[in-house]
Amino acid sequence: MKKNLQWKVVLALAAIGLAIFLAYPYDDTKVRRGLDLKGGIHLVLQVITDDSINIETDQEIGRLEELLKKNSITFGKVTKEGLGRIAVQGVLADQEGKTRDLFDEYTRDWDYSFTGDRANLVLKPLVVQFLRDQSVSQAKETIDNRINTFGVAEPLIQRQGADQIVVELPGVDDPDRVKELIKVTAVLEWKLVKAGPAADEATLLQPYNGVVPEDAEVIKGDPKRGQGGFYLVDKVATVTGKDLRTIRRTTDEWNSPAVSFTLNSDGGARFEQVTGANVGKQIAIILDKKVQSAPVVESRIDRAQGGVIRGRFTPEEADDLVVVLKAGALPAGIKYLEERTIGPSLGADSVRQGFLAGLVAVVAVMTFMVFFYKISGLNAVAALILNVVILFGALAYFKAALTLPGIAGIILAIGMAVDANVLIFERIKEELALGKGVASAVTQGFSRAFTAIFDSNLTTIISAVFLFQFGTGPIRGYAVTLTISLVANLFTAVFISHLLFDLTVKKSAKKLSI
Amino acid sequence: MQLFKTPNIRFLKYKYIALAATAVIVLAGVLNVTVFKGLKLGVDFGEGTLLRVKMRTASSEGDIRNLLQTVGLGKSQVQSTGDTNQEFQIRALESAGSGGTAEEQLEAHEELANKIIAALRGDDGAAERARGLVDLNAIDERTLTNLLETSFPGSGPEAARGIIATRNMSGIIADFQELGGIGLKPEIQTFVKEKTYLGKMTVLSRETVGPQVGADLRRKAVQATIWSLLGMLIYIALRFRLEYGVAAVFTLFQDVLITMTVYSFTNREINLPIIAGILTIVGFSINDTIVIFDRVRENQKLLRGKPLEEVMNVSLNQCLGRTIITSGTVLLTVGALFLFGGDVINDFAFLMLIGTVEGVYSTIYLSCPVVLFWQKWFKPKNAGRR
Repeated sequence: MKKNLQWKVVLALAAIGLAIFLAYPYDDTKVRRGLDLKGGIHLVLQVITDDSINIETDQEIGRLEELLKKNSITFGKVTKEGLGRIAVQGVLADQEGKTRDLFDEYTRDWDYSFTGDRANLVLKPLVVQFLRDQSVSQAKETIDNRINTFGVAEPLIQRQGADQIVVELPGVDDPDRVKELIKVTAVLEWKLVKAGPAADEATLLQPYNGVVPEDAEVIKGDPKRGQGGFYLVDKVATVTGKDLRTIRRTTDEWNSPAVSFTLNSDGGARFEQVTGANVGKQIAIILDKKVQSAPVVESRIDRAQGGVIRGRFTPEEADDLVVVLKAGALPAGIKYLEERTIGPSLGADSVRQGFLAGLVAVVAVMTFMVFFYKISGLNAVAALILNVVILFGALAYFKAALTLPGIAGIILAIGMAVDANVLIFERIKEELALGKGVASAVTQGFSRAFTAIFDSNLTTIISAVFLFQFGTGPIRGYAVTLTISLVANLFTAVFISHLLFDLTVKKSAKKLSI
Repeated sequence: MQLFKTPNIRFLKYKYIALAATAVIVLAGVLNVTVFKGLKLGVDFGEGTLLRVKMRTASSEGDIRNLLQTVGLGKSQVQSTGDTNQEFQIRALESAGSGGTAEEQLEAHEELANKIIAALRGDDGAAERARGLVDLNAIDERTLTNLLETSFPGSGPEAARGIIATRNMSGIIADFQELGGIGLKPEIQTFVKEKTYLGKMTVLSRETVGPQVGADLRRKAVQATIWSLLGMLIYIALRFRLEYGVAAVFTLFQDVLITMTVYSFTNREINLPIIAGILTIVGFSINDTIVIFDRVRENQKLLRGKPLEEVMNVSLNQCLGRTIITSGTVLLTVGALFLFGGDVINDFAFLMLIGTVEGVYSTIYLSCPVVLFWQKWFKPKNAGRR
């Protein structure tokens, strides 16, 4: 064997070995099946990033009032003029300079201008963008946490575009529950009840002459928790979800599902103080602006003791509440743009039938090649098998998911692999017909066919790269499998197949089985 | 074995007829799409709701439609899939209300889907539910595990997994007997029989796409197509000549148009796998075209002085064996997919069948003539000699 040839054999064996090493033993964890083949939930959701700007604006108003008061600046009132827009009204003319100085020093995220006695503050565009971006990444993180706490194998959660998040949960079969789990904002608050529950707002506010007191707000009961009616509660929360230390599912004294919690030292102290001062009153447990339950405080609740949230939960609902409270609240609201649930049986059907069809196709093509090209056809068959092995090795390495469009990509690539062999063989036949010797016909056949194979594969790879760049999920899957197989194709059809000829056809051979 | 001994067909003699035929087909397609039927966009690209359900016993499209009619959803498209008359695909066509925000519309679609499911279920299982039983054909694995775990601590997860796996085999449990062969403890089997009932249907898949995503997907698909065509055009123009690049891309357009024309006359929908199919046809077509162009490029050196049309004819003949064999193997593959691939793949395979057959024609009759015409128009002096 020539030295050159030896190196080629080593290289070929190394490539095959690597591919087998990556893909073996072949199972679900090696090459992920996409949702269309495995079943599961695919959700596209949009983070309402305006929420984060709103929150920032509200907080800034509070900070501004405090800042101005502290520096004894007289002003009428601070009002919210819109998203990231605040106006301070009634600033005295002789205090304008001092106010400007304060703004320069303390409100650096805001641009300001004065018109008469009115200061207009606008959140800087860069800050707006930062806040929006941050709210999306925080939302993604929160959803990530929730899904992980809930327990889903191999979830895929990623950002898409400016404000979208794609969630793919393979194998999950209870879409409604998961959707709810992701969507709840999960802001939990304990607030003292001033009045209620009442059947409607008018009755509730009767003692207050129909006006909501400044330090209170009206909150509805959650009908799902058997809490109809309206409550008048303190505006300021005693403790919130942020003060929770531990939280877990439990059962109450009537053996129905409930959630128990303990508080951190800060929140515990406040809870102890407020409950101690308000024995006999109701304290409302509010989740996302809906009262879950409003138990009566029977005694001071010790800071170490913690408490229990009840609310006629089903076991699943109690579990989910634990999950969302553990994972934390969403920084902004979200809404769904797309929802797909693929049942596992449908995916299994596709796989089973697709496998059968693929098998029939491969056997048919291979039989044809051997029938048509005799022993040379066997070379092509070997190259084809290798192509598929390398493809799966690469899929495992890149952790790419196999989807139906992905399989379409593989079909195209296998078609082109067969074509490469056909091109070469037809070319060898032509050279033989011209009266060339076997060895030279093989060499000529390969080198003449090479440009066509190279150009056609590269053109298709170029288009696949663009598809990957601009396409969405499934189209990308197609582009990935296609690109991988075409690269493998150039290697197997040109290099391996040639090597097989070199190894099997003697230099002095008079006839070639083709 | 040789397919053709010495083929010498004057392919390019018929180039005008071929172009005319192409024009007629494409025109018919454009008319059909714009004036008559239009393309049937699947939920992927349009918006709306697509449901696949499986009934416990055989039913018919008519029966399903009747059930939907009673709740005012008679316009829904119902299509039987599979061959047991148990599986149906339902596309809600009732407008979910065009007003409102994107999310409200999506919720309206969801609502529609719920309504359809409720209508199909009817009062099935109402009596059982009143007795506190749960539908074994609708329950999810977690809930079933919890249910079993309360009565059989420790063996809930395994039993639930077994039951759900059995259900997944066919999509629906038709009879409690099916649970006999999966190694469930007898007491668990009895428990399941007592605590659950077998609902008349399951939802195999449910897809709802809001207007925003539909528009997004359409836009991105167009963008991806334009860029990849441009990429191919530039590469071929560099490796060959500009007119070859133009001809190749023109051929691709034609392939897609003709394939879509034929496809539009069938009742099939355009969804993402179909887009993958179109891309695949494009891939094969560009491959075929380049193989011919490569041969022309080579023959131009060998057959100096011969007019380009003749060089092309020789090249087409030399490549004929390869064209037929390659297309033949592709036909074998997609034929297998068409026959055995199952419902989801069937539309894709059908499209590929048209595309492959059509691809042979376009390779021979379109790619080369376009180069000839281009040279005739833009380089009158050199025409026929380059």
